[in-house]
Amino acid sequence: MEILDKLLNVALLVATLRTTAPILLVALGGSFTTKAGIFNIGLEGQMLVGAFFAVLGSIWSGSALIGVACGVVAALVFALAFAVLVVSFRANEVVVGLALNILAGGMTISLMKAIFGTRGSIVGQKIVGLPKVQIPGARDLLGSWAPLVSGYTPMVYVAFVAVPFLVLFYKRTRLGLYIRVVGEKPEAAEALGISITRVRYTASLLCGLLAGLAGAHLSLGYITMFTENMSSGRGFMAVAILIFSAGDPLKVLAGCLLFGFADAFSLRLQTFGFPSYLILAVPYLVALVALFALSYRSRPRIIRETLESMKKMLSVETKPAETGNNLPR
Amino acid sequence: MSDGLRAFYGQIIALAIALALGALIIVLIDESPINVFMTLVRGAFGDQSKIAGTLLQTTPILICGIAACIGLRGGMFNVGIEGQLFLGGFAAAWVGFALPLPAGLHMVVGMAAAVLAGAAWVAIPAYFRARYNTNEVVSTILSNYVAVLLTSYFTIFLFKRPGGWSETPPILPTAYLPELFSFSRLNWGLIIGLALAFFVAWFFRQTAKGYSISMVGSAPKFAEYGGIDVKRQGFLVLLASGAVGGLAGGVETLGIHHRFMEGFAPGFGFDGLIAALLANGSPIITIFTALFFGALRNGSLLLETDTSASREIITVIQALIILSVSAQVLMKRRGDSTAGERRWKF
Amino acid sequence: MSDTSPAKRQETTSPAENAVELIDITKRFGAFVANERVNLRVKRGEIHAIIGENGAGKTTLMNILFGLLQPDEGRIVLNGRETIVTDPATAIDAGLGMVHQHFKLVPSLSVADNVFLGMEIRRNGLIDQAAQIEKTRELSERFGLKVEPQERVSLLSVGIEQRIEILKVLARGARTIILDEPTAVLTPQESRELFQTLRGFVADGMTVIFISHHLEEVMEVSDTVTVLRHGKHVATRPTAELTKDDLVRMMVGRNVSFDRRRRTKTAGEVVLDVKNLWARDERRLPALRDASFTVRAGEIVGIAGVAGNGQTELAEVLAGLRPASHGSAMLKGRDLTALTPAAIRDAGFAHVPGDRMVRGVDGSASISSNLLMGRQFKAPWSRNGVLDWDGVAKQAVEMIKRFDIRARGPEDTVKRLSGGNIQKVVLAREFTNDADFLLIDQPTRGVDIGAQESIHDEIMRQRAAGRAVLVISVQLDELLTLADRILVMFNGRIMGEVEGDSADSERIGMMMAGLNASAASEVAA
Repeated sequence: MEILDKLLNVALLVATLRTTAPILLVALGGSFTTKAGIFNIGLEGQMLVGAFFAVLGSIWSGSALIGVACGVVAALVFALAFAVLVVSFRANEVVVGLALNILAGGMTISLMKAIFGTRGSIVGQKIVGLPKVQIPGARDLLGSWAPLVSGYTPMVYVAFVAVPFLVLFYKRTRLGLYIRVVGEKPEAAEALGISITRVRYTASLLCGLLAGLAGAHLSLGYITMFTENMSSGRGFMAVAILIFSAGDPLKVLAGCLLFGFADAFSLRLQTFGFPSYLILAVPYLVALVALFALSYRSRPRIIRETLESMKKMLSVETKPAETGNNLPR
Repeated sequence: MSDGLRAFYGQIIALAIALALGALIIVLIDESPINVFMTLVRGAFGDQSKIAGTLLQTTPILICGIAACIGLRGGMFNVGIEGQLFLGGFAAAWVGFALPLPAGLHMVVGMAAAVLAGAAWVAIPAYFRARYNTNEVVSTILSNYVAVLLTSYFTIFLFKRPGGWSETPPILPTAYLPELFSFSRLNWGLIIGLALAFFVAWFFRQTAKGYSISMVGSAPKFAEYGGIDVKRQGFLVLLASGAVGGLAGGVETLGIHHRFMEGFAPGFGFDGLIAALLANGSPIITIFTALFFGALRNGSLLLETDTSASREIITVIQALIILSVSAQVLMKRRGDSTAGERRWKF
Repeated sequence: MSDTSPAKRQETTSPAENAVELIDITKRFGAFVANERVNLRVKRGEIHAIIGENGAGKTTLMNILFGLLQPDEGRIVLNGRETIVTDPATAIDAGLGMVHQHFKLVPSLSVADNVFLGMEIRRNGLIDQAAQIEKTRELSERFGLKVEPQERVSLLSVGIEQRIEILKVLARGARTIILDEPTAVLTPQESRELFQTLRGFVADGMTVIFISHHLEEVMEVSDTVTVLRHGKHVATRPTAELTKDDLVRMMVGRNVSFDRRRRTKTAGEVVLDVKNLWARDERRLPALRDASFTVRAGEIVGIAGVAGNGQTELAEVLAGLRPASHGSAMLKGRDLTALTPAAIRDAGFAHVPGDRMVRGVDGSASISSNLLMGRQFKAPWSRNGVLDWDGVAKQAVEMIKRFDIRARGPEDTVKRLSGGNIQKVVLAREFTNDADFLLIDQPTRGVDIGAQESIHDEIMRQRAAGRAVLVISVQLDELLTLADRILVMFNGRIMGEVEGDSADSERIGMMMAGLNASAASEVAA
């Protein structure tokens, strides 16, 4: 009984990591644009075209890798369109993002009908999915815990490994620093001859890259098929995470793990006979609750002065002023 | 005046670019753009019933468009109209089949239920937007998914018509919206939509409240300084926008479907938002943009049967129009969006 | 212009005496000429002040020199070499550095990261933070600009931020440093430290260009002065040959007297009574501390102080736009701190905000629409909630006439107007509300001299009409002209009060720098 319990827990953790991966990838992509000061609601569409073209590439070439590449290229094209309109033409980013999402939805369905003559979904033997990566020695070392680190599709590893890389990227690389500067204080970048346009383009394209990988993971990862609107709001959940994490990679990871867990847990609930429609709504509700709860937490608070605190401030803060040095603002 | 003229030419050029790109995509999927175009026109305006069909499609787009206009004028991006439409549609249907009332009154109560449901559905995002500045774009988009799943749950698990598809029992005829002509399902919904467009336009132009809301939309700090309760107005604007979104759902169920069914009105909320954006937040111009999109939609039905193209190709064209127009004109009204607050949020 | 001209060849061969030469620079923005055939010659090793009123074209000229703007006509010669300064990078390569009026530092980064931003020291592709910190410390010690390289900029004071800006410029190897109104945000003590640093630079053989409209500073620190007026070059002279009066005359083109407006004592009953008022700023630090004062009917009370010493917070608390954390502000017996902005207006409060374009108007709307704000629910502007736009427009025409607003008509968009005319739109709205109390924050910021006078006239008229007026200004001259009493704010506190008739600017200046009233009079005496 104990062993069974443990197995279930491991399985739940494994499922959490699996469901976390796509949203983590797309959210990390969005971290680039968020840090660069762009509100990118177009993640959803980038992910969707990524998923569609990954399947297309996989069928045409018979190679999952080429499929992934096709998905990434498609997402990059969308990211480029976003950048051209938002950065160069200064169009409203919400409008452009939403329109690109609508375009992605309409385009994938139209192309599906034109190429496969079907509506709904593309399934079949000809889609080559991504292989599962078995880490050698994992089973010997970890025993029943091995599935926790071994046996995922490659994008899961990419997603989690990307987190520390991004932390380092923002702290210690020139491009990472510039992206932060452009988002936080564009005047500073401009004055130093850092091209805001170039940095924002780069950030948008990096975002497209990861969103494309996320899309490829959706359609070539654990299931090998494409269905209409298969990104099903993950891009929007990623945006919600980006809003309360401000694009910080570690906070993004924490937020995505929460979603992955909610997803995995609700799927488990389904086996207990909860109505599937309500179960499916759980991740969206989690996103909404998190969004609301965290904005409530960051609300501006009014601080009332007490006699105690006033006395303290009057006595401490006037001293440096009278000596004439280190004048506070 | 020259500014207005330049903006107008800008729109025309944008439209031309969008259509050219659309044609290119049609060529890519191995169809003739001219054939597609002619089919669309035939499907939209080919005969009396086609025109009525176009107007039938225009109605929900127009009402959703007005909902979006109300939001845009007040500086709020209500992307949740789709969800409000679903909730409103379900609420109206529920009143229609579960609450027998005298004719006329029944219809009015059904519509009221739709309006209330739409407003209630947006109330939480609206409250958090107004009080804590929670990004309303994301919260309303996410609530769309919940709305669709929730109404599906109601329909299939709680109120399913015995032996039927995934739909509720039919509503009682006492709750029907009266039809305008005998040859079409075209109904009072269109009249309601047009009247609403003119009322909202008048409201923003001529009333003190409308003036206050417009000021909150275009210059919130100025409005606050002038004594307008910005948070309260923001909340009310989203609530009103949601209420109109709910109304659109009520018009659909009481006027056309006479029941609520899964996926009963796909995409009208987004079409309405696009129509309103293309009209730059003006309810009167939205009448025309909604008609345009309604014609595209109705024409696309024929497209599906007469050509090898899918009807979603019109979604592609709509998106392309918005994209090319956004680069030209929408930048002039950046205050309408959340873009201006970007630096606050990130 | 050609490279082969004899003059040019001569310039390149002889060691140039001038660090910077701007020749016949013209810059237009649409119909507006910001610089018209302006000439500027700055000798190596001098402190060269460029002086002129707001809008005289000083900042435009410097932006052209630094490559932020391109001139329509004219040439730039740097260190004897004719240069086309396409962007700031070219200017930096030529040994120029600019410290902008508004600092361009990234708050979340450390001092060292900011100093080396754009020229990071890297090792193995990664930024070498240890090396940057070390180099920043070296620079800081060499030039006597004390900073702590690892501190986050968001925690630092304005004076230190300016040091970082200067270090940024030095780290890029600048030998000619341009400072745009460097003292506008500094206390007199901080300014003095800055001047010492600048003298150190020229002693080192560097060159300093210094933009200001503060006469005394220019007299104190500069070797040479160039005066600009309405975008034109007026004169370049050694400072020693000039008096303050000469400078004023050249700046404004006529003798202006900062004469105190004549007045009779009219002060009546107390209209506004502020007691122990406290408030916090955005960072939730106390920004207004224990303010207590009164304003009487028929009296103008001035609030003096360097920008950012709690004046904004005071204005916002009174207007209901910021919560007070303690204390009260009674307007005719009603406590403003407990009321909404709308209720405050109804209580007889008119407010000319300091941030005109954000708070004062909706730039994209018409004059009529802007004049309607705050009264849209009241008769005769609206009845039963329906607006009378014809009536509003008619009244707008009257106001345009009465306040001499230069516009095409009531439907003209506000953002098309000049700064002075926009301010008049705000005044027209606020002064016709029949309010008992007027709060006027920065009455003439960004307003040309002619409009300044008419705005002052209007404020005096309000005083004569028995209104209680509180004027907040960073321009001391303005307060000396207008106010019956002057309160001085420093670091959120009111340091002391001076009678307008007997006010002397030195004593006020001391208080602006944080000395309390008694200490200030001792030092001044």
